[in-house]
Amino acid sequence: MAEDRTLRPSPSPLWPGGPTFDEIDPSGAISEAADRIRSTTRGGLLKQAGAGATILLGLHTPAAGAAAPASQKRDRAILNYALLLEYLQASFYTEAERMRALKGALARQAQVVGAHERDHVRSLRAVLGGAAIGRPRFDYRGVTEDPSAFRDTAVAFEDLAVAAYKQQAPRVQSKRLLGALLSIHSVEARHAAWIRYLAGRLPAPDAFDEPMSQRRVVAIVDDTRFIVAPAKTSGKKRPRFTG
Amino acid sequence: MIGEELTVEVVAGNADHDEPPRRTRAEVLERAVVAGGALLAGGVLITGLPRLATSAPSPKQDAEILNFALLIEQLQAAFYAESLTHGRLRGQLRQFAEVVEGHERAHRKFVESALGSNAHGPPRFRFGETTSDPAKFVAAAVALEDTALAAYNGQGPNLTAPTLGAAARIVSVEARHAAWARVLAGQTPAPVAVDQPAGEGQARAALKRSGLLGG
Repeated sequence: MAEDRTLRPSPSPLWPGGPTFDEIDPSGAISEAADRIRSTTRGGLLKQAGAGATILLGLHTPAAGAAAPASQKRDRAILNYALLLEYLQASFYTEAERMRALKGALARQAQVVGAHERDHVRSLRAVLGGAAIGRPRFDYRGVTEDPSAFRDTAVAFEDLAVAAYKQQAPRVQSKRLLGALLSIHSVEARHAAWIRYLAGRLPAPDAFDEPMSQRRVVAIVDDTRFIVAPAKTSGKKRPRFTG
Repeated sequence: MIGEELTVEVVAGNADHDEPPRRTRAEVLERAVVAGGALLAGGVLITGLPRLATSAPSPKQDAEILNFALLIEQLQAAFYAESLTHGRLRGQLRQFAEVVEGHERAHRKFVESALGSNAHGPPRFRFGETTSDPAKFVAAAVALEDTALAAYNGQGPNLTAPTLGAAARIVSVEARHAAWARVLAGQTPAPVAVDQPAGEGQARAALKRSGLLGG
C-alpha cells in the first residue's frame, strides 16, 4: 500500500511506541476509508483545533469519582465511548437527510441507518442515565452535502464502528451489557457492508474483521476534526425519551 | 431453548421492504411504562433482548460452544462450495458465493485448529435445490448468514474473553455476508437497529426450517 494512502494519526503522547496502523489494519480497509474522510473534507475549513474526542472522553486526565466498583466504572467508560461513536454517526446521517443531497438507494440507506444510529444513541443514554456524556457539537465540513463524500465518510464510520465495538466487547464485565453491545456490533457490520456495496466495494473484504484500540479510533476521529466542541451540558438533565 | 420461536425478523424474512417501525411518542411512553421505565428508549430495548441461558465461562464450555460454531462454519463452507460446483450462479451472485465461500472455509479451519483434537467432524449435509437454483440459493444464503450471526451473538456472553475476542473477528464478517446476501435478495440489509441473538436450539430450528440442516 502506498505511503500516502494510510492515515497516520499525529503522534500522541498518550500512546508512545504503539503499534503502527498497518499492524492493526493489515488489509488497509479502515485506513483507506479514513483517508477518504480526509480527502473529501474541505481543507479550507480545517481551522479549529480538533482533539474533541480526546477531551470528551476524559482521556487526558484520570476520571474523577472513585465510588463505583472498578468493573462498573469500566463498563460505563465503554458505554460512553460507544455513545460518542453513535453520536458521531447519528448526527452525520441526520444532517445528510436534512441536506437532501442524496437520492435513491443512498437516500434510503441514510434514512434507515440514521434511524438505527439514533436508536443506539437513545438506548445507550437510557442505560447510562446521568452518567451519559452529552452530545458534542459537530461540523461535518461539507461531507453531508455531497453524495460521494457522504458515501466515503459513511464507509469509514461504519468500518470504524465495527472495529471499535469489537475491541471493547471482551472487556465488558456485565453479561447483559455484553449481549447488547454484540447486537449493536453486528448491526454496524451490516451497515458497513451495505454502504460498501453502494460504494462499489466488496461488502466483506476479509475473512476476519480486526479490532481497533480506543486510542487509535479516537486519534482517527480527532483527525477528522468533525467534533468542534464538547457538549456544554452533561446528559444529566436531558429527558430520557425524546422520541 | 427448543420450542421458543425465533422471532428474528431476519430469519423469518418478513420485514424486507417495510419501513422500519415508527412508534408514536405515546406508544413509546406506554411501552416504557410497561417495561418499567428507563430501559426502553426510542423503540429499541437493548437491555430487553431475550435472556438466553448463560453460564459461567470456562475453557470446557468454550470447546462445546466452538463445536457448535464449527458445525455452522462446516455447513456454510459446504453450502457455498456445492453451489459453486453446480455452476448455476452468475454475475453478482457468483461473486458473492466465491468470496463468501473463501471466508467460510477460513473460519472453519480457524475454529478447527482452535479445537484441535476436540473438533467434531461434519455431518452429512443435504442442501437440495438451494445450491442449484439461484433464487433458492439467495434465500437460503440470507437465512444461513442471519442465523449464523444470531447464533454467534447468542453464545458471546458464554465465552471466556480470549475466545470471545476470536469469535468477534468472525461474527461481524457473518453480519457483512448477511447484509450482502440481503442486498442481492432485494431485502433491507439491516432490518433492525439491534440484532436479536439466538440460542443454540433456536439457531438449529431456524436452519432446519430453511432446509439446511437435517433432523
